[in-house]
Amino acid sequence: MSDKNMKRKTTMTIVSEGLAKRYKKEKRFKMLGLSAILFSLLFLVFLFSSIFLNGYKAFFQTAVQIDVFFDPAVLDVKDPATANYHGLIKTSLRTAFPDIKKRKDKKKLYGIISNGASFTLRDIVLENPSIIGQTLSVWVLADDDIDMLMKSYIDRELPESDRRMNDMQIDWVDTFKAQNRIKFLFNIGFFTNGDSREPESAGILGATIGSMYMLAITLVLAFPIGIGAAIYLEEFAVKNWLTDIIEVNINNLAAVPSIVFGLLGLAVFLNFFQLPRSAPLVGGLVLFLMTLPTIIITSRVALQSVPPSIREAALGVGASKMQAVFHHVLPLAMPGMLTGTIIGMARALGESAPLLMIGMVAFIVDIPSSIADPATALPVQIYLWADSPERAFVERTSAAIMVLLTFLILMNGTAVYLRSKFERRW
Amino acid sequence: MYTKTISIIAATVIGGSVLTTNIATARDYVSIVGSSTVYPFATTVAEQFGKSTKFATPKVESTGSGGGLKLFCSGIGVTHPDISNASRRIKKSEYDKCQANGVKDIIEVKVGYDGIVLANSKKSHPMKLSRRDIFLALAKMVPGTDGKLIDNPNKTWKDINASLPNTKIEVLGPPPTSGTRDAFAELAMEGGAKTFDNMKALRAAKGDAVKPLMAKLGIPENAFNAKGKNVFKRVAHSIREDGAYVEAGENDNLIVQKLEANPNALGIFGFSFLDQNEDKVQGSSIDGHMPTFEAISDGSYPVSRPLFFYVKKAHVAVIPGISGYLAEFTSDKAWGEEGYLADKGMIPMPGAERAKFASDVQNLTPLVLQ
Amino acid sequence: MSNPILTTILLSLISFSYSYGKKFAFTTGSKVGGVHKLHSRPAYHGMLIALWCALPSLFILFVWQFAEPAIISSMVLSSLPDAINTLPPERLGLVLNDIKNLSMGLSFGGQIDPQLLKASEYYLQLQQTGINIKSGAVIILSIIGLLAGFKLLSPSLRARNHVERVVRYFLIGCSLIAIFTTIGIVLSVLFEALRFFQKVSVAEFLFSLTWSPQISIRADQVGASGEFGAVPVFAGTMLISAIAMLVAVPIGLMSAIYLSEYASKRMRATAKPLIEILAGVPTVVYGFFAALVVAPFIRNAGTAMGLEVSSESALAAGLIMGIMIIPFVMSIADDVINAVPQSLRDGSYGLGATKSETVKNVVIPAALPGIVGGILLAVSRAIGETMIVVMAAGLSANLTVNPLQAVTTVTVQIVTLLIGDQEFDSPKTLAAFALGLLLFVVTLSLNILALYIVRKYREEYE
Repeated sequence: MSDKNMKRKTTMTIVSEGLAKRYKKEKRFKMLGLSAILFSLLFLVFLFSSIFLNGYKAFFQTAVQIDVFFDPAVLDVKDPATANYHGLIKTSLRTAFPDIKKRKDKKKLYGIISNGASFTLRDIVLENPSIIGQTLSVWVLADDDIDMLMKSYIDRELPESDRRMNDMQIDWVDTFKAQNRIKFLFNIGFFTNGDSREPESAGILGATIGSMYMLAITLVLAFPIGIGAAIYLEEFAVKNWLTDIIEVNINNLAAVPSIVFGLLGLAVFLNFFQLPRSAPLVGGLVLFLMTLPTIIITSRVALQSVPPSIREAALGVGASKMQAVFHHVLPLAMPGMLTGTIIGMARALGESAPLLMIGMVAFIVDIPSSIADPATALPVQIYLWADSPERAFVERTSAAIMVLLTFLILMNGTAVYLRSKFERRW
Repeated sequence: MYTKTISIIAATVIGGSVLTTNIATARDYVSIVGSSTVYPFATTVAEQFGKSTKFATPKVESTGSGGGLKLFCSGIGVTHPDISNASRRIKKSEYDKCQANGVKDIIEVKVGYDGIVLANSKKSHPMKLSRRDIFLALAKMVPGTDGKLIDNPNKTWKDINASLPNTKIEVLGPPPTSGTRDAFAELAMEGGAKTFDNMKALRAAKGDAVKPLMAKLGIPENAFNAKGKNVFKRVAHSIREDGAYVEAGENDNLIVQKLEANPNALGIFGFSFLDQNEDKVQGSSIDGHMPTFEAISDGSYPVSRPLFFYVKKAHVAVIPGISGYLAEFTSDKAWGEEGYLADKGMIPMPGAERAKFASDVQNLTPLVLQ
Repeated sequence: MSNPILTTILLSLISFSYSYGKKFAFTTGSKVGGVHKLHSRPAYHGMLIALWCALPSLFILFVWQFAEPAIISSMVLSSLPDAINTLPPERLGLVLNDIKNLSMGLSFGGQIDPQLLKASEYYLQLQQTGINIKSGAVIILSIIGLLAGFKLLSPSLRARNHVERVVRYFLIGCSLIAIFTTIGIVLSVLFEALRFFQKVSVAEFLFSLTWSPQISIRADQVGASGEFGAVPVFAGTMLISAIAMLVAVPIGLMSAIYLSEYASKRMRATAKPLIEILAGVPTVVYGFFAALVVAPFIRNAGTAMGLEVSSESALAAGLIMGIMIIPFVMSIADDVINAVPQSLRDGSYGLGATKSETVKNVVIPAALPGIVGGILLAVSRAIGETMIVVMAAGLSANLTVNPLQAVTTVTVQIVTLLIGDQEFDSPKTLAAFALGLLLFVVTLSLNILALYIVRKYREEYE
């Protein structure tokens, strides 16, 4: 294009000549935005499906049916609680496979059944002592190795020396299979048991209760105090150095790494106040301090979004400032505050770093019955299981993650619902 | 709305005060802290004990040996733990701290051994190493051609020993804060360093004999110590930091998985993880011995270390369940050759040693550390 | 009387005083010519009495809960024979635990010392007395408070002002907790950090280029080198955070722009909460994913291209951390973009600009201070993130900018140093606190900077 041509062009032609290019740019920009969103969503789907595929099998557990003779010679009718139930299982396995003679092989044979099975038998007897002397077919949990084999995590094709199970053990399992004495049961224990070193009897109830206790403490403290602080700072505080410090402080605390709160909990609650280690009480207090700034900030935003006209109208008809805030502004800001609180709670539920510092990385079998009992939390349980040598804990880790994610999605869903239902544009 | 506020205040305060009541209750469970290496075994015993008796299941925390002994030694009383697990012996300074804080009588119980293995993925070839190879591969400084110590020049395994494969040296192992790393340095690296004559001489040297040896090895004067052994250790324990040794954290499962993803790498971890993952990783033989259960328990496999726990005598009679837990741990069905701890990957002690520690526990014989 | 019963009685007393005060106000009000003649509305009279009734008794209840165990313990102990009583205090604590366990019916075989058994009965008895006294004191006090409140009631009582003052003190108290938290944090890391600085100089910690805490673990060993230069640790943190920001900022920003400028209402309502789920996924889960899925993938891809990739490359941890932060950047950017008034956009459209030109030339410049502030906050979140890096990043303190190499971060070091096997007052453990302090200071300055930028450059459009 020569200079002459350029000069003769009107603005309109320049514009229309560039239009195609600009529209293309526009389209590209839009696609960029869309792909950014799609990227996040795809990742979400990928993450969730990989967790699901890893873990869904943990909701089913291999059980084996064995014929147990409740031998009166072993079981004392007067005190059946302390009998040698493991012996009963051994006897019944020996009867089922009478040609196993070598000591080592016998040990492998006994290993088919979970260590926890003797407690199952004990419970059966305690519930109904009259069965002593009878033979009963009982479904008991299989050992985690059998479970792994049944779930085809153990490759039968590998040479025997490379496998965790030898050919003999696989034969036993196949025998059970042929007799229809082995099957998958829904893994109730996963939801009703505390932690265990035997993967087949490990459950998340203890960790879940621990998490719930902590959340309850966090909520009871953080909700009123957070809202109180937000109201004061937003509605009443006069601008001076003190309120300035408080403001900077709160904003800063919201971004302080959670692990630093763990160090605080260690120094203040454990060492200074001598509160018990590993207790949900301490965990709840730490999480309270951690979530408080978030709740204050979101509550302040909610208060800010209430237009000044509401306050002015209330003051205009003679309400005191306190009345204007509590009777008119607060109810309008409440949905926003609730949303912020729920999101803060969800963050507290998923948090594990500060809990590492206050002794909650612990093996706790008994279900906690008060906030001072030792307990662990769901994310910490996940962390612990991930570190266990037993292979069967891998799927349990994923299953526990699924449970935790379900809680989190429920909480976030409630927040989204509240927000969309009560969101008001002024 | 005020009513709501006031009721919230009331609920908080009352809730708070109700919450505080429970803290005053007594501790009715055993509290155990300490090493993450002993954790899998201690928890197994704790669970067996808790489920088969009417006592509450002991609480086992994984705090690391140092953190555990710190808590353990901070005093006597319900707020302090009763038992501390350790993957190394208690240090004199820690023992003194215990004494100073009134924790006078401590019972030491050795529970068994943990083999430390070097393993790689099943997808690649098994490695046959000697401790000298390990030292040459991982030490920060190795003797060069003129006998003086130089920065480790070895890039591939073949550089060290012509019989080894021509792959890059890459070893995933625990960080310097770990007892596993410490034991590995002491058993494998020192063992390898000793195979060099000058280093061996340095280890044995004392006083004036140290300096000429240091000069021979090219160690700077400021590293001088009257005990040649200390200078020797300083060299032998230094692990290279140029990327050949990757500090990979304490999660041994992750190391196993990383090895699977990276067939050329070797990993250092506890025997129980090798035991559980036989289909994925294979142990390397060291000085001709494969890391098997038998070889570790008879001592022919060179890299294994003892595991301990420590008990406060003053707590034994007071906290319900301690003596029961001790009895369970020291029973043959737990720590014996056929016991359930062996199933979990712990290497049992020989019968005589077991009997000795079992009687220590029975009589509550306190440890005397000079 | 158990705690719940006491609480119920107390609550009913409080609600009674409230309704009584209210009723009183109504009756006196009608006597003086209508409720509107009173200074405060009747409800305030009720509330004032309720406060009078509640606060003193709750205070006593609270103090009692803390004091009771100590008092009872000392009484039980003094009842014991001298042989036990002269034991050192920590032993006494154990004896007391024994007594408490006995009183709860927990014995553990063997013979029970009859003296202890007696003491445990005494303990139970004392506990019962304690509960009785407590209940009595609390109820009597609340009634006294109630009566004192009644005395005050009069038509001219400025009940509202009194109540409002109490509420105001409560609100101030709430907002002061943040300050106490900060003080607590500083104090809890400061002392240990100072002990560390006695062993390692501040200058070495801040400026030395080697981090290698290879100090011996046992006394009979002389350790290898132990160097505590925090520079590589911080450089590693910065590298991982930078990678995370490279992922999070463009994706988060573009998502926010698309959602606020292009997306239909329905898409916005579904996509935004879905993406926000990413922020709710526990970091432990991300850590797993980074270590087991992303890191091997990057390694394999890198090796296929002939690159040398460490198995715990900074890239893997950084990428996943970036994804975690996307929603954070997105919501902040979304808020700021929405705050840009429509009139600005309309002006730009009026000049013939396309949507993307408007966004690039008008909306983003107007929203920039808010976006930058938000990004700084996101950076401080990335720096402080712990679990992802603990599981996916390495521990080797390499001073490098190569994202394919392993680096370490401050939080990883804190965790490994604190749960290690080393002796507890070695510089290794103490270094964790020094790092914690430094981390706190760094995030604090970042946040203050972010606040400053937002405040200084914020455009007010109203």
